[in-house]
Amino acid sequence: MRPSTRLLPTIEKAAFREGTRVMTPLSIAIGVWGLVTGVAMVNAGLSIPGALLMTFTVFAGSAQLAVLPLLATGTPLPIVWATALLVNLRFVIFSAASRRSFVALPWQQRLIAGYLNGDVGFALFSHRFRGAKEHGTPEQYGFFYGTATLNWLSWQTSSVAGILLGGLAPTDWGLELAAYLALLTVLIPMVRTFPAISGVLVTTVLAIVTVGMPMRLGLLIAVLAGVAVAFTGETLKARRAS
Amino acid sequence: MSDPFHDWPYLLAAITGLTVITVATRSSFFMLPARFNLPPRVERALRYAPACALAAIIAQGVFTTDHHADISWGNDHMWALAAAWLVSLRTKHMVIMMGVGMAVFTALRMWV
Repeated sequence: MRPSTRLLPTIEKAAFREGTRVMTPLSIAIGVWGLVTGVAMVNAGLSIPGALLMTFTVFAGSAQLAVLPLLATGTPLPIVWATALLVNLRFVIFSAASRRSFVALPWQQRLIAGYLNGDVGFALFSHRFRGAKEHGTPEQYGFFYGTATLNWLSWQTSSVAGILLGGLAPTDWGLELAAYLALLTVLIPMVRTFPAISGVLVTTVLAIVTVGMPMRLGLLIAVLAGVAVAFTGETLKARRAS
Repeated sequence: MSDPFHDWPYLLAAITGLTVITVATRSSFFMLPARFNLPPRVERALRYAPACALAAIIAQGVFTTDHHADISWGNDHMWALAAAWLVSLRTKHMVIMMGVGMAVFTALRMWV
């Protein structure tokens, strides 16, 4: 087989299993948001075929939620797309951060890996391979596709459930809290050093005060500021040590 | 037809564009040629992006209500998160952390 025509890179099976194992508890979080997004789509007035088409193609929950009210009122498409683009800008940062591991792949494989690189998978992958000397190993691709596969399955099954159940789906069982607690368990091991602590604190405060901003721009601002503060902290620490 | 959600040309065009945007943003930096390198300072700074992204998502989910900051005694989610964090100082066991968080949330809801 010519390598350039394959859609997936060579992966290590043990690492794939590790990825699915690490992702398993987090599929609670993904499942909650999928359900909420599925319910929101039909409640906004989207037909079941329309909602199913959207979930299986767009595959970006926060962008879907942001454009629903715009689509419901027949907003001109350039405005709809600009909104989705702004909501998705954090993925540009993620792609820059994990670029080294994927850049050597053929372009089709890079497109597919990018499409599947959501918030939780990105966090797990970056933490698992922090400080790796080699990039783009079958182990890394195995882990990535392990998390990505389970992420895709939990997102799509729960979205479809939400779409079919509509208003009957449970949305107020404290399920959303379970999702955030699951993310907290991923976050805590990442925050061990002074730069990371300062960055996360700044991000938290900014995310809270900017939550009223449209198109989830507050999220982006908070992340950029946190990254800048963490990096400044790291630089200061290195200077003091030398 | 007046309902945009049943205006299929409009909806199909919208969904096609939204799909392109998902792929374009998520794969953006993957698609630049391999010889292009990010400045080392930027690469080092981006190591903090995953932690900050998670923190931002959690903060907006837990410390806010209806798109407003909510740091009040009545915010049950906040106390549940604090409890889970305290537990994490003793054990990194995910199920225990989540269980304690959910238990605190349920108790506050039922008795306070």
